[in-house]
Amino acid sequence: MNAGQLQSLKDLIEFLKQQNVGEFELEQEGLKVRLNFGGKEKPTVSGPDAGQIAALLAAAAPATSAAPAAASPAPAAAAARAAAPAADENAGLHIVKSPIVGTFYEASAPGAEAFAKVGDRVEAGQILCIVEAMKLMNEIESDAAGEIVKRLVTNGQPVEYGQPLFAIRPR
Amino acid sequence: MPSPLDSAALDRALHGTMFAGNVHVFATIDSTNTYAMREGATSAPGGSVYIASEQTAGRGRGAHRWHSEPDSGVYMSLLLRPRIAPADALWLSLAAGLAVQQGIADVTGLKADIRWPNDLLLGGRKFCGILTEMNAEATQVRYAVTGIGINVNHAMFPEELQWVATSLRVEAGREQDCTAVAAAILRALDAELRDLMQADTIALATASLLTRFEECSTWARGKRVSVDEAGGYTGVTAGLDARGFLRVDTGTEMRTVLSGGVRELTPGV
Repeated sequence: MNAGQLQSLKDLIEFLKQQNVGEFELEQEGLKVRLNFGGKEKPTVSGPDAGQIAALLAAAAPATSAAPAAASPAPAAAAARAAAPAADENAGLHIVKSPIVGTFYEASAPGAEAFAKVGDRVEAGQILCIVEAMKLMNEIESDAAGEIVKRLVTNGQPVEYGQPLFAIRPR
Repeated sequence: MPSPLDSAALDRALHGTMFAGNVHVFATIDSTNTYAMREGATSAPGGSVYIASEQTAGRGRGAHRWHSEPDSGVYMSLLLRPRIAPADALWLSLAAGLAVQQGIADVTGLKADIRWPNDLLLGGRKFCGILTEMNAEATQVRYAVTGIGINVNHAMFPEELQWVATSLRVEAGREQDCTAVAAAILRALDAELRDLMQADTIALATASLLTRFEECSTWARGKRVSVDEAGGYTGVTAGLDARGFLRVDTGTEMRTVLSGGVRELTPGV
C-alpha cells in the first residue's frame, strides 16, 4: 500500500469514527477491510489503530505491490505508536495543515529566504510556505497568530491533503 | 514603439466573456503574475486580465525564468475568484493548457501537444508555459492567478534554448497577430473555466476535462519519461488519476507525479 492509500484509509477511519459507525466492511480487488469500532467481538482490542489496519491491509495486498506492502506495516505501526505521546506534546498548539496534495516549499524560489522559521512570531494571514502541485503554487497562510514551535515537513517533501505542516503556540 | 496589443480590438473580441471590459494592456511590465497577485489582494474583480507584450522579470516554476523579447510574445495573467475549495483549483491548471491548445488551433490551425500538466509544445519544443498562483483559506479559494506566456513572433532563440523552445512564427512560417492570439486564447479560457469555477458545476466539468485531456495530449499514456521529483525516476505514462495527477508505471510500481518536471526519454539517453 502506498502513502496515498494509507492516508485515504486513515481519513476513512476518522470519518467512520466521527459518524459513530459501529462496523464497516469494504471489499475490492486484492483488498478486504473490516472494521469494528465497538470492541465487543474482540475484547482485547479497544479500537483499531492505523498501524494495525495497515498491517492487515499489507497482508491482504496482492503480489503486484509486494515491495511497498512489505515496507508499509513497520513505519505505519511506528507512526501509530508515536501518535500518543505526540498528541500530548502538541496539546495547546495550533496545527497548520495543507489544503492540497503537493510538494512543500519553504521559500518562493530555490535559494531564497524561507517564509517562516521555527521561533518566528507570525500573524494570522502571514504566508508560511508554498505547496505546489501541477504548477499551481499555493501560498499557505497561518490561520493563527503566535510562535512557530515546529516545522513538521522538510523542504521539497511531498505532502498529503490535510497533512500537518507547522505547529504554532497561539498567543 | 506602440505595443502590438490592440486594447480596443481585444475588448470587442471578448464581448460576452467573463473578461469583457476587464482587460488591462501594458507595453512592458516586470511580471504579469506578480501584478495580478497584488491586484488579487485588493478589490479588483474576478475576470481581470493583465496582458503585456514584454516582461522584464517573467517567472516560471521554481527559479526558472521565462525568456521574453520585446513585442514578440503575449504574456497574460488572469485574476480569478472561483467559488471552489483549494484542492479543486488544481483543475484550473489542467484546464488552462487545454484552452491554450484550443485557442492556438482556432487562430493558427496548428495542433499543439500538451505535456502534463500544461506545457504547450509544437514539434516537441515548448512555446507556451503556464504558472498558476493561489491565495486560499482552508476551505475556499480567495483568488487565483493563471499566468500564460506564449512565444508568438520570436524569430530565433538563444543557443541554450534552441532545441527546447519555439514560437508560433517559427512553426507556422509567418508572423502572427498578437491581439488575435490573445483573443482566441481568452475566448477558449472563458469556455473552459466557466463551469470549473462554481461548486455546483465542477464535478461534471472535471469528468469532461479528464477525458479530453487524455485525447488531446500524447503525453498522457504510453510515453517513456523521466520525472524530476521524489529523487527522480523513469517509467511509462499511464493516464491521469481521478484528481488529474499523471500516473507513471516504473515497471515495478505505479507512481503519481505531483508537480511536473516530466521529460521525454529518447532512445540512447
